[in-house]
Amino acid sequence: MAQAAGLKNNKWVRLAGILIVVVLLAVAPLILPEFANQTVARIGVFAVAVLGLNVVMGYTGQVSLGQIFFVGVGAYVTAYGVNNDWNIVLVFLLAILIPGIAGLFVALAAARLGGLAIAMVTIALPIVGVPLAKRLSEFTGGSQGTSARFSDAPEWTGLFDDQWQLYIVIVIGAATFLLTRNLVRGKYGRAFGIVKSNEAVASSMGISPYRYKVLAFTIASLIGGVAGFLYMVVVQYTSPETMSFGHSITLLASMVIGGAGSIIGSLLGGAYYVLAPQLTNLIDPNLTAALQGAILLLILFVLPGGLVSLPRLWRRKRRGARPGDPAQTGTVPTSPPPAPQNTQSEERGT
Amino acid sequence: MSTLRKKARITSVVAGIGIVAVLAAGCSRGGGGGDSSDGPADASPGITDTSITLGITTPLSGATAGPGTCTVAGITAYFGAKNAEGGIEFGDGKTREVKINALDDAYDPQKALANFQQLEGEAFLMTSGLGTPTNRAYREAAIADEVPQVLIQTGDPIFSNTEESPWQLGFVPIYQNEGAAFGELLASSTEDHKVAILSQNDDYGEGYVEGFKEAIEGADNIEIVDELTYEATDTDVNAQLTELAATDADVFFNAMSITPLVISSLLKTQELGWLPSWFLPSNTSSPGAILTPGNAVAFPGIYTVAFAQSASAPTFAESEEGAAFLSNLAEYADYPDVPAFPHCVWSYQIGATLEQVFAKMTEPTRDDFMEQLRTIKGFTAPLMLEGASIDTTEDGQPAISGVTVQKYNGKGYATAETFG
Repeated sequence: MAQAAGLKNNKWVRLAGILIVVVLLAVAPLILPEFANQTVARIGVFAVAVLGLNVVMGYTGQVSLGQIFFVGVGAYVTAYGVNNDWNIVLVFLLAILIPGIAGLFVALAAARLGGLAIAMVTIALPIVGVPLAKRLSEFTGGSQGTSARFSDAPEWTGLFDDQWQLYIVIVIGAATFLLTRNLVRGKYGRAFGIVKSNEAVASSMGISPYRYKVLAFTIASLIGGVAGFLYMVVVQYTSPETMSFGHSITLLASMVIGGAGSIIGSLLGGAYYVLAPQLTNLIDPNLTAALQGAILLLILFVLPGGLVSLPRLWRRKRRGARPGDPAQTGTVPTSPPPAPQNTQSEERGT
Repeated sequence: MSTLRKKARITSVVAGIGIVAVLAAGCSRGGGGGDSSDGPADASPGITDTSITLGITTPLSGATAGPGTCTVAGITAYFGAKNAEGGIEFGDGKTREVKINALDDAYDPQKALANFQQLEGEAFLMTSGLGTPTNRAYREAAIADEVPQVLIQTGDPIFSNTEESPWQLGFVPIYQNEGAAFGELLASSTEDHKVAILSQNDDYGEGYVEGFKEAIEGADNIEIVDELTYEATDTDVNAQLTELAATDADVFFNAMSITPLVISSLLKTQELGWLPSWFLPSNTSSPGAILTPGNAVAFPGIYTVAFAQSASAPTFAESEEGAAFLSNLAEYADYPDVPAFPHCVWSYQIGATLEQVFAKMTEPTRDDFMEQLRTIKGFTAPLMLEGASIDTTEDGQPAISGVTVQKYNGKGYATAETFG
């Protein structure tokens, strides 16, 4: 065990691990069959959406039920920009900025409220969003929705559409994950963590809970906008249904199932969001809702910390089978956020 | 020294993985999209010499699960009975068993697209699915991949426009058809009529009003005295009704798609003492669910349009076709109750229409299917009302564009030949 832990902390091993992941991500789209590519791309879209939710809920502890609204706004901005032949880079930036600004304004008001009141304010977003999207039909195409095909593979790449789209999702998604990882592992992440655990302590340390709540909420909506852009890359169509309230709840459930306050957990949450309906469809299309409920309950009973805690559970079980193992006193993180502990152990390892 | 060796080892492992991966990539996708089965060399996916697979994506959970389940049950019942008789005979002389692969999209566009992507390799065509946003979500993908998306259950006109949607065709009448049918009946009346219009402020309401206005164009006996709209999110329309009641119009054209709002409108109008004849869309005119609680017998007439018989009508189960439909539904689609939604009958008729197309297909290809699909004319599907028929040859129109105006008689509907 101690040897294994040492191996894990070795710089070269970690570097190799990262390299392998990069190579896999670069090559996988070329090998995988079409449907697998499309599924992985969708997972990427919703993993980013869950990641945004994680920043505000998992790391900062503020209940947000409005994440799908920002995804929807991002998607609509993308569709509108593409259909008006704007430069795609500009479209991408606007698709992030506009939900971000909307999120900032909502947060300025909502973060003044405590606890569940924030949840109530954020519930309003998708509930207002759907009729708003129907009414602003000049921009949104009304209840029939709007489609924008801009993510077909260019000729020079020689790629299939699904491969090209997956590459876009991988590049933008990976960048978002990396930036968010750095954010939550640094100064801001620690501030978020203190705001989450005790606002009074945060204030006494000179950390304004209000300011950090607004910051977390705004970042979550920016990331929601990224997910909205990727949604249009992959789905190429959006309608008021996209931001229906039920999807916000599913995103929340995905975050908890993946693992709150965890980067890998966000990825697993995205996978759950996409794969749960697909798997239940394979079992019995008439029972999808009931089966998804059963899966949700099962995971939360067995793994209250989410799917991300699976290796931890397994490790604890192995150690339980061999009492007196020296590794038991090791630096295994047991509670979120694991980030600071990890950084420390990594630093010690080098 | 040992670090260096380790580094070299790791590099070689990574390089090795990379090389294997690139080699594998080179081998894959070699065949392109040519996923041909063991039938004739040019057969499309989803069809063999002995079977054909149909794909459906439709809401089987969530708020629209009721009608959604019907969109699968009807067609499953139809082909279940045909399969039990030995299968469907195709135009190429082969008899094939029809398999149906239905997936739940919960009325979520993103899931509908995922379902399409999952089905397109194994299904010959997509059909019967319910919902405008869900069908729209994979419309362009279906065009790009040349997969038929036909006889789907949405009133959105885009699916019946061959130029915009070369691989699509809607089944149910578009909103304009319904409004126009009532307009024509009204225009043929011998008396003068004043019409008040209330419509939902979206493509649904606009479609009905557009069709109605086109039909009464040039009719001297019809005057539109007032025209108001409401939002689909409104919880009451009392203000609009009060204003319309003041016009004292004798005909009230109400293009409303929300069930509780229709009931409250019926009651409010009586309260105001305004008793016109009503027109209601086909999806919000159910005798049991809307007209009875709205006490609609107080009005001189409630009109709606239909093309299919209603399974809840008392005479339905006594007719030969109706009895066969109900027993097939129970036996092959695991749907033992009398369906409360018309979509069960509609998807049964979709099955019958597909059979007509299959009988004309001489090649097992999607191209030939689309060609033959657009040649069905004058076919009366089971459980159709008198006067309605399938016509797929007219561009811009869905498979069923002719609807019959029906008048409420206190219990159910009967065909109305004239207004009044």
